[in-house]
Amino acid sequence: MRSLFHNVFGFGLFLVATTAFGQGDKGAIEGNVKDPVGGIVAGATVQATNASTGEVHKSTSSRQGAYTLADLPAGTYDVSLILGGVAPFALKSVAVSAGQTAHVDINLKEGTQLSSLGEDPLSIAVDQKRHNPPSGPTPRTAEGKPDLTGVWWSPRVVDPGKPEFLPAALEITRKRIEDNRKDSPQTHCLPNAVVRVGPIYEFVQTKSFLVMIADDDSPGFHQIYLDGRPHPKDADPLWYGHNIGHWDGDTLVVDRVNFEDQVWLDQAAHPHSDKLHVVERYRRYDLGHLETEVTVEDPGVLAKPYTIKEVSDLAPGEEVREFICTENNRDLEHLVGR
Amino acid sequence: MKNAKKTGFLSAAVALGLMAAAAPAFAHHSFAAEFDVNKPVTLTGSVIKLEWTNPHAHFYITVKDDHGGTTNWEFEMGSPNALIRHGWNRNSLKPGDVVTVVGYLAKDGSKLANARSVTLADGRKVFAGSSVDGDTTQ
Repeated sequence: MRSLFHNVFGFGLFLVATTAFGQGDKGAIEGNVKDPVGGIVAGATVQATNASTGEVHKSTSSRQGAYTLADLPAGTYDVSLILGGVAPFALKSVAVSAGQTAHVDINLKEGTQLSSLGEDPLSIAVDQKRHNPPSGPTPRTAEGKPDLTGVWWSPRVVDPGKPEFLPAALEITRKRIEDNRKDSPQTHCLPNAVVRVGPIYEFVQTKSFLVMIADDDSPGFHQIYLDGRPHPKDADPLWYGHNIGHWDGDTLVVDRVNFEDQVWLDQAAHPHSDKLHVVERYRRYDLGHLETEVTVEDPGVLAKPYTIKEVSDLAPGEEVREFICTENNRDLEHLVGR
Repeated sequence: MKNAKKTGFLSAAVALGLMAAAAPAFAHHSFAAEFDVNKPVTLTGSVIKLEWTNPHAHFYITVKDDHGGTTNWEFEMGSPNALIRHGWNRNSLKPGDVVTVVGYLAKDGSKLANARSVTLADGRKVFAGSSVDGDTTQ
């Protein structure tokens, strides 16, 4: 295993070489995709974006992990691959010449949060396989409003938005990451980041009240008031914020303010300020799907607001089990920073 | 080990269309704060006990050395909640089971590693996602 890792990582993340492959005014990029322990990655979509024109070319890796991006106009390309559970791969400025094939091997690296059994890409794959959202119309309450009640799989991100963090916020983030995030709230069994949900979660909805219960979080639940009350003035900060909701047609709009200073904004270790304001728009457009738009506004850390678009699949038959994090939190004594 | 080298643990994930799923990771602690991705380890030993607890399940094995001595090792896995969804339970490992574990060593030098895969003496992989079409257990 040790020698394997030297093979994978000792020679760097990628290897670029070119070979002639024939005549013509087009070139190609080819290579192999491997996972962090050197295994073949089949069926992954490798993308090459022409740096001048922005034109995107895609290729899917074979069962042997090989990919070929053929018929590329000569030029410079950015090669990328995004795969759930491992760090994104990106290699800029790969030169493609007419009649030449550039060789780019993609050796994926571990994601920052993954690796143990039950937390690895395999685990995500197993969960993904269980996704089988039922079809049917949107369920409605007696009042005629959409009913969000149900157990849902962690949302898949459709559009992560384009957050532009201010330099001071980026500096805090950099320090947290350099320190291996060893002092993240979750490590101490405190609540998850504001915009993190899952791996599964549940909504329980009444006319005046909505509760979100999330797995892998402590305590893992928060209340959203639907009874028309305003946010309180001069209230104590809260880990999950103060949350009120109202209906905009068939969309539930949840307004969140007043967050505790210690909670992290997201899994990427970004901070927030006391100006954090999150607006979540929930639309259960049919029985099996819940669309969410999360707009994050925080002039204390962001140049401007950004919006994350996500969709959750209904998870019939699943349960959100209790997660008593302090039961046996033995990690703290082993954690090391930079 | 030669099997582990060939294992494409992502192949099933990819086949299932996870490429852009961006599913959020489990979050209790950062991998890099506790384990060293550059220090993979493979150990074979006899199971002492399995702790089926949050935020992580743990198990312990006794590993014999070449001089007649033994060392106890601790392995960390994900949370029971995640493991249960994959068909595992608190009895999946029993005291006395001889297992081969592949994982990564703790950075602090203690006799601790995370577990990436666990193989029983008969070659059967436990805790390796048997419900994923066998792709990950080759």
